[in-house]
Order: sequence, then structure tokens, then C-alpha cells
Amino acid sequence: MLTAYPPNRLSAQTVDQLAVRLSAMTAVTGLEQAMADSLLLLVPGSARDRAGNVTLTLGAAGPKRLVACPLDEVGYVVGNVTDDGYLTVRRVGVRIAYPLFDQQLEGQPVTVFGAGGAAVPGVVAVKSTHLTRGRPAASDPVFTADNAYVDVGARSRDDVRALGIAVLAPVALTKRPHRYGDRLLAAPAAGRRAACAALVAAARVKPRVKGTVVVAFTVQSLYATNAGLSTVQALRGPFDETKQLTLATRYTDTAVETVSLKDAEELERELLKWMEGR
Amino acid sequence: MRQAGRRLGGQAVRKAGLAAVLLTAYPPNRLTAQDPARISETQSVLTTLVETYGVSEAEGPVREAVKRLLPPWVKSETDTAGNLWVRVGQGDPVVVVIAHLDEIGFRVTAIRDDGALELQPRGGFFASLYEAKPALVHTERGPVPGVFVPRDTGFSRHTPPPLRVDVGTTSRQATEALGIRPGHTVTMPKQFVRLAGTRATGRSFDDRVGSATLVLALRHLDRAAVKHQVIFIWSTREEIGLEGAQGAAAILGTTARRVHAVDTFVSADSPLELANFAVAPLGQGAAARALDQSSVTPPSYVDSLAAVAKARGVKLQIGTTMGGNDGSVFTRYGVVDVALGWPLRYAHSPAELVDLGDVASLADLVQAIAESW
Repeated sequence: MLTAYPPNRLSAQTVDQLAVRLSAMTAVTGLEQAMADSLLLLVPGSARDRAGNVTLTLGAAGPKRLVACPLDEVGYVVGNVTDDGYLTVRRVGVRIAYPLFDQQLEGQPVTVFGAGGAAVPGVVAVKSTHLTRGRPAASDPVFTADNAYVDVGARSRDDVRALGIAVLAPVALTKRPHRYGDRLLAAPAAGRRAACAALVAAARVKPRVKGTVVVAFTVQSLYATNAGLSTVQALRGPFDETKQLTLATRYTDTAVETVSLKDAEELERELLKWMEGR
Repeated sequence: MRQAGRRLGGQAVRKAGLAAVLLTAYPPNRLTAQDPARISETQSVLTTLVETYGVSEAEGPVREAVKRLLPPWVKSETDTAGNLWVRVGQGDPVVVVIAHLDEIGFRVTAIRDDGALELQPRGGFFASLYEAKPALVHTERGPVPGVFVPRDTGFSRHTPPPLRVDVGTTSRQATEALGIRPGHTVTMPKQFVRLAGTRATGRSFDDRVGSATLVLALRHLDRAAVKHQVIFIWSTREEIGLEGAQGAAAILGTTARRVHAVDTFVSADSPLELANFAVAPLGQGAAARALDQSSVTPPSYVDSLAAVAKARGVKLQIGTTMGGNDGSVFTRYGVVDVALGWPLRYAHSPAELVDLGDVASLADLVQAIAESW
């Protein structure tokens, strides 16, 4: 439900296609299971562990190596519902580089994930320029999550409940991955998604690995103590080597975080070499 | 604020079953099976116009979209200012109904050595709402995608340093090779999205809603009932100073008796606005802009408008809001401006939000005016 694409068109996807597909998904840290469901479909043979990580074991014997990609993102959950049907939010995840991260919500389309993961569209309220009545705009303090009123078109608390929305429902900017330039991809958390896409692509090739390689798409990297990765290490380790995937990004942690899909393709090639011990 | 009439022009706009809302959440602009025909048609026309791009001075695609949506009997003409005209009926008094084609956005003013675009805002809005968002540069070859560059200094609210667009190039030559040149307009991608009940969101509802209501009124117009000339005008360059309307007003001079600007009623029905005035709740029907920053409708005309609405069972709110309207530039020729609108939340943002019942109500009102006033 978290992606516009039907889940059964999984064959023969390039890193570019996978990166766009994963960038269209939402996985607020700690609430990643809808995206994990998609990864279970994308990576044949993978399984979910008790923390919600998606892992795949390739090969046997030693050396035993781990390659991990975090699938979560800083986002929001519904914190309260007002009598007149607006949603207020709290942020989940703190490790962000962009000082105006919350302000990116103001006056923008968002998606609320209601019961069963149903995507409910909404917007974050913003003052009209017309009604500022000459007040200097510069006097407003920076927008924070505390200023966010999400309007899903509901007129009452009951309307909101009927939409399947309750406290803790994930909320994120509506994801519309945007390609530009020479194979550049802009989207929230595009760097993480493109890195995970490279790992999905490499895992789907079913490489002849050297020893054992555990492929892990981890949860909760942006909260508390990186509980997802720690769980994989505790349950599946010890590992002789751990490789955590990253890709260079521009406009990091903004809604147009930009990654080069050429870099993602190169990462897939490097991963295959690493897995095969070449 | 007071109301005239108790129902919506015979077009019952009751909130659709909420079960249907879940079905429409994705893809977002699907019609619900429970929608009354009037809401369905309103959404269809509005979606086409909202998903067409046309910053001030680049309204051509919107004008062509309006022409395609008009009924086959209509003969339209375009004046030198780019305004689209449709004349119905003959004789005095000549009445003008005018909505604007253009939307707010940016214009490219220069291409930097590093390939990025420098921009000039077109219309009044918070530039911060575009910052760190996808961009589209509208060229003769089609839209070129890019991104509005996030600021790296001056982390304040609504006053970012001048915005730039990165189209993924690193030199002026590379940007020019994409077909981009100064003068092109820049927007962000937009989509009509249906929300709960009969609510909907998108960018450029101001004034594609007005433009849509003129189309809808013409589609349903009883031409035999029109006893004098009514001129429907879709105007250009409203957001940068009512410029298209000024051209139309000059053409008509003192010929017209009355003008109805059909434009946004910026509503304070929002958790963020002061409730001192402009509190036109969504879902309560069309709204008369009896007083804004550009014009005052004479009270007797407000009463007449209310009577027309009441006679046709059109739900109407009467109030005062901010902003200017195209009709105001006709008043210098002795033409009375009876401005109309519909309540809009979050005006001039990417999150503009309407109730489609209000839009249908406004279309009914425009039709009623043409046929009976």
C-alpha cells in the first residue's frame, strides 16, 4: 500500500527502477513494516526477524560477513486528533542535518498511513499570504512539528476515525520521486533508498558468495541505539566483517535529497564483487 | 457573514460515505461511485485545469485547456492581451463574468555560471513553500525537471535567500543545451487530489476553480433564458497586477453595466487564521466578496445577488476577505463589480484546499446570474 506500483511487477528491475520504487515508499523509523513487506517480496528467500529487520542468508561456512542497509527515515506520527478533525504530529527520529527539516511540511501535501497501511492524502495547514494583513513574515519563528495541523478533509474526530486514522499513524511528505539531470534522483531519504536498491539488485542476482553473507535491511537506525542493526548482529553474529551501505547525497535530509543513480549502479557492482570475494 | 438559501442549487452535495474515501485515497483523484453527477463533473473539469501549468504571462496551455472543455456551440476569441472571450446573448445590459487563467510561480531571470537558474517570483506568496521541492522549468520543448535549492544560510521562516533552481547541470552551456533561457516560467509539479468527503487539494485552485465554474456554467446554460449579452472572460496576468483584465475593461469601456469577478474567497476557516473576518466555512456554499482590498460591492447589488441565489436555491455566503479581483479594474468605467468566490483554505500554497460542493454551488450561481440577472 505504500507504493504506487503494483507489487507483482518485480522481475528484471534495474537499480534505477528499484531506487525510484523504494523512494516512493515511507518507512518512519520504528514503523517500517509496510516497507519491510515490500522488501520480502522484492528479495526472494528473505525473512523477517523479531525486530522487523529483513534478512537473507547467502552461502555457507566462513568467513561470515554482514552487509546492511538501513531502510528507515525520520518522519512523523499522529500525536492527537482535534475535535474539528485536524491531526497534530510528533517527530520520530532525530538524526537530521537540515535545520529546516520540519519546516518542509508547511503548506505541503502529506500522506497519513491509516489502518492496514491505507494511504490517506492530506495537507499541512499554512497561513494564507492574503490574510497576513501586512504583518512582517520575517517575524514568524521557524516552523516546527508543533505547528503542524494536518488537514485530511475531515470535519470531526469521528470523520478521522472513519478514515482509519488514530494516534501513532505514520505521516510523511507525499512521496513523488523526481528524476532530473543525468540520472539524478530527488526524494526524501533518496540516498538510503538508492543504497538499499543497490543491495536489493545485488541480492536478486543470487551471487556465488565467498563463505556466508547475511544481507540485512535494518529498522530503527535513526532511533535510540540502532536497534535493528544491533539485533542482526546479536542474533546472526558474530561477523568477521560488517559493511554498512551509504551513498553520497546532495541537499541531504531535505525533500529533494539527491543521489546519483550512476553511483547506485556502481555500488551494486562493488557489492557483487565484495560478496563473491573478488 | 450571513447565508442565503438552504440548499445547493438542487445539487445535493452531501458528504459521500466515508468508506468511499478509503477507496479514493490512492490513486488520489479517482471519482467515488457515490458522487452526485454534479460533483463528478466539477471534479473532472477542475482536475484538467489544475493539472495544466500557466504562470502569469505563460497562460497559453490553460487557455487551450479551457477551450477544449467548452461546449461545442461556443465561439471563443482571444484578444491581444491573451484573454479568452465568449459572448452569449444580445442587448443591454452587458454583463461580464471574469476569472483568471494564470497561477503564481517564477520566471527565470538568469542562468548562472554554475548552471543554476536565478528566479523572479510572479505573484505574492511565501517563497519558502517552494524551497527544497521539485521544480519544473517550462520550455518550448516541454518541462525540464530540477529542484529548488535549499538554503544553506539564514535559517528563518518565510524569507529564504533568493531561490535558485538546480537542473542537474554544472555550467551555463549545459543548462542552455536543455533548452532553458531567461523568460521561461518555473513551477513545482502539481496534482489534483481528492480528500475526505467532497474536499480536494491541489495547487493553483486560485483561480482554476473560477475558470472551471465559468466552463460549467456555460455547459449548463439555458441560452434561451439569457435576455441580454453576457460576456465570459478568462483573463491573463491577474497575479501580477490584473493586467489582462485591464485590457478587457479598456476594450469594453462604459459598455458593460456589471462585472462579476469570479475568484478566490480567501477563507479564515483554518486552525491558523484570526477569526476576525473572512470566516467563510468550507462546505457552506459560494461566497460573495462584498468587500476586499480592491473593490466594494454596493449593498443594493449584494442584496440582488442574494435574491438571485435564493430564487435558484443556491447556497451563498456573504462576507469580506483580502486580496484584489479582476472586476475592480472595470469600476473606473462605471461598471459595478459584484465579486464572487468560494472559500479557499491555505491560499497561494501547494496545499490549497476546497470543498467541491462549494465549487458546484458557485457554478450554479454564475449560471443563475447569466440567465436571470
